[in-house]
Amino acid sequence: MNTLNADKNWLSLRNLFPRWGIWTSGLVNLTVMAISAIALWWIFFSNSGIFKLYTPLLGFSLVIWMLLIIMWQVEFFDYWPFSSRFLAASHPLKKGGILTGTTILLYLVLIFGILFFIIGQYGVTYFNWNSLTEYGKLGQDVMSTRETTSWAFICLSVPFLWITTILLVGVGKGIWDQSPQPGQGLANWLLMAMLSIPLFLIFFHPHIGSMFYPAQIYTAVPPWWQSLAHTDSAEYGLGILFCTVIVIFITLQLWEGRPWNLVEKQPLRFLFILFGGLVLGFAFFKVQLYIMDYFWDEAYLGGQNDANFGWRYSHTVTMGNFILVPAIILKTCFGQGFSKMKLWFKGIVTTCIAIIAGLVFAWCYYAWAPTLLGVCSGVSHPSENPSAFLVLLIVLLNIQDYFMDGWPGYLVKVQGAEK
Amino acid sequence: MQRRSFLKGLAATSAGLAVSNGIGSMTKKAYAKKEKKDFGEVKSIKVECVSETSWFDNATLGKDIKAAGGINTNQYDVAYNEENLGGYAAVVEVEALDGKITKYLLDSGWSNDWMDYVFAQSGVDKMLENKEIDTIVISHDHIDHYFGIESTLKHQPDIKMYFPSTSMKKSYELLKGADFSKTPGCPKNAYPHTGELIVTKPDTLYKLQDGAGVVFFDSPATLQVRGENVMYFKVKDKGYVTVTGCCHPGILTLINYARRNFKDGEENYGCYGGLHISPFENWDPKMDDIIAGVQQYNMKKIACNHCTGWIWAEKAVKAGLPIVKGTDKFRSYRKVGTLAKANTSNIYTGNGDTVVF
Repeated sequence: MNTLNADKNWLSLRNLFPRWGIWTSGLVNLTVMAISAIALWWIFFSNSGIFKLYTPLLGFSLVIWMLLIIMWQVEFFDYWPFSSRFLAASHPLKKGGILTGTTILLYLVLIFGILFFIIGQYGVTYFNWNSLTEYGKLGQDVMSTRETTSWAFICLSVPFLWITTILLVGVGKGIWDQSPQPGQGLANWLLMAMLSIPLFLIFFHPHIGSMFYPAQIYTAVPPWWQSLAHTDSAEYGLGILFCTVIVIFITLQLWEGRPWNLVEKQPLRFLFILFGGLVLGFAFFKVQLYIMDYFWDEAYLGGQNDANFGWRYSHTVTMGNFILVPAIILKTCFGQGFSKMKLWFKGIVTTCIAIIAGLVFAWCYYAWAPTLLGVCSGVSHPSENPSAFLVLLIVLLNIQDYFMDGWPGYLVKVQGAEK
Repeated sequence: MQRRSFLKGLAATSAGLAVSNGIGSMTKKAYAKKEKKDFGEVKSIKVECVSETSWFDNATLGKDIKAAGGINTNQYDVAYNEENLGGYAAVVEVEALDGKITKYLLDSGWSNDWMDYVFAQSGVDKMLENKEIDTIVISHDHIDHYFGIESTLKHQPDIKMYFPSTSMKKSYELLKGADFSKTPGCPKNAYPHTGELIVTKPDTLYKLQDGAGVVFFDSPATLQVRGENVMYFKVKDKGYVTVTGCCHPGILTLINYARRNFKDGEENYGCYGGLHISPFENWDPKMDDIIAGVQQYNMKKIACNHCTGWIWAEKAVKAGLPIVKGTDKFRSYRKVGTLAKANTSNIYTGNGDTVVF
């Protein structure tokens, strides 16, 4: 008899146990994930592959939106429409396939169905590369317009990612907690979208309005951050917001949500993560910029490649992702290996490991990715974006953890399931 | 100054940040201590635009590259529409302080058919044959600067050549006589290079003569190409002039390199060539930054063309930068580009035009 509470969130019901010991199981998972990532890269992303999605921005926009959709499926909608009973009974490969298929379907509906085909065709030109080619004329050839539209998709994802993260950590199920799914998820999602869209308009729309000649000043104000950022590029806001998300993610992985969960009262908790996250993210962003100044000298207005302010702002995100990937691996593959340590000690040890592993990973990427992934060599290549591969890894780690319960290295046991 | 104050303000808020705030001034001090190179002066230089039309239609090239997998595809794997191909080359005539004239060829274009035609128009074919030009600087091995190497070597296979060390393996093979023309638009060379080959590396000034040198920048470019040679000249009583193929390192990088490494390096007089800003006429706010950046330096002559992008040149003129206007001479050539507005504005130093620094 199965007495499983089908209404409870699957994550709160499942317990994962290593199949062959923590380190072996973790290594097996890591190997499976790495092989899958490289195989997927060559099939879907590489210029020599079948789908050639790494243009690079189209591929990057795909993985960043997939990550967001996975977060919504798991955290906002509690896997709805799939019940905990279905998730408990299904083989990880089966449910992993079905849930990932749902993610892809949602991506196609949201990004290509609504944003590209409806909004891009009947509302905002830059969300559809065919519309740009049709109306844009000068400079709007098929290769450029695909990148412009993909950049717009990425820009839109950034406030969505930031607001999703602070709502999940700062509010959780605090609002509409009695509502059943999908109503609860939909309410949270609409709240998140309502807060994110104005942020997109303020931080990113001015950049996209300036991507045409003449600049579209009657529909988008000229970039207002120039005197702060020393560039007209929205990569300044992108860098700060993305670094904020990365830092919060790292605290969730390695510090069990500290310091955010130390404050329980609302709205203090929400305000704490909102402003505290920004302060931490901004510090992470600025420290990286100083390190870049040290290695590459100061950037200058109008400089190109590694001397460009905008590129450096984006590179803080790249380096942040290089650190975030090992942080997630430490939690999902080897987390139980550190469970006996005191939290503060575990936090320090795992953070140090994540930073060192991230730097080694970055070195390996720039040295070997031209061979392993077929990307161009060099750190500041104007048409390369390592975050595409890094976010693909994060997506796969999330799929392995949330959709496949750590298969193959981990076994799942479910609270309340009796046979 | 504004940035400095901003950084200082931030540093005051955090001890950690305060420690790292010294980094910028540390690098500045390091540069101040660095010995500045003095490689002499020339009396003047005259640059003739042999051809700046590397291809004639942006959309067609964009389509070819997109079909092959995008901007990071290996350039030897793209099938190009052969009707669309041109090439980039320039002749730099240097007058030394004693009045002696020396000529250098920068790049050898793309389509041999087009390069043979423009070499004949500018008399480069004869200059090569009679060794009036005995040195070629290959800026980089991109399609439109190097694939037409046969057009140079057939006139003078033993020409002295400056070649970027980062060139692709196939580019080295092409120099030795390889044939990649099975793929439409890809090159062949039936005249292996037999002359002196100087493979350029970073952090070295390769002196061509007093007041003239080549500097290699290991900068990234599209289609898996890396690195670019830049020609630097110091013109007496005027200042530094750069002559570039594509300027992938960025014009501000070149200005700053001179400032940091050469004697009187802050005296920037002018530049000639592609500035690689908006070659496909697509725009990004970062490109507005380049106009604002160049405005900070007191340049007197900016002769731009090729991959600069017509939009940038037009915006630069509006911002008051000293863009040298071209003539109508390019119209007499057998083919012109399809960007109608660019063709009527003469904002580029066009095919057959000359500019004196």
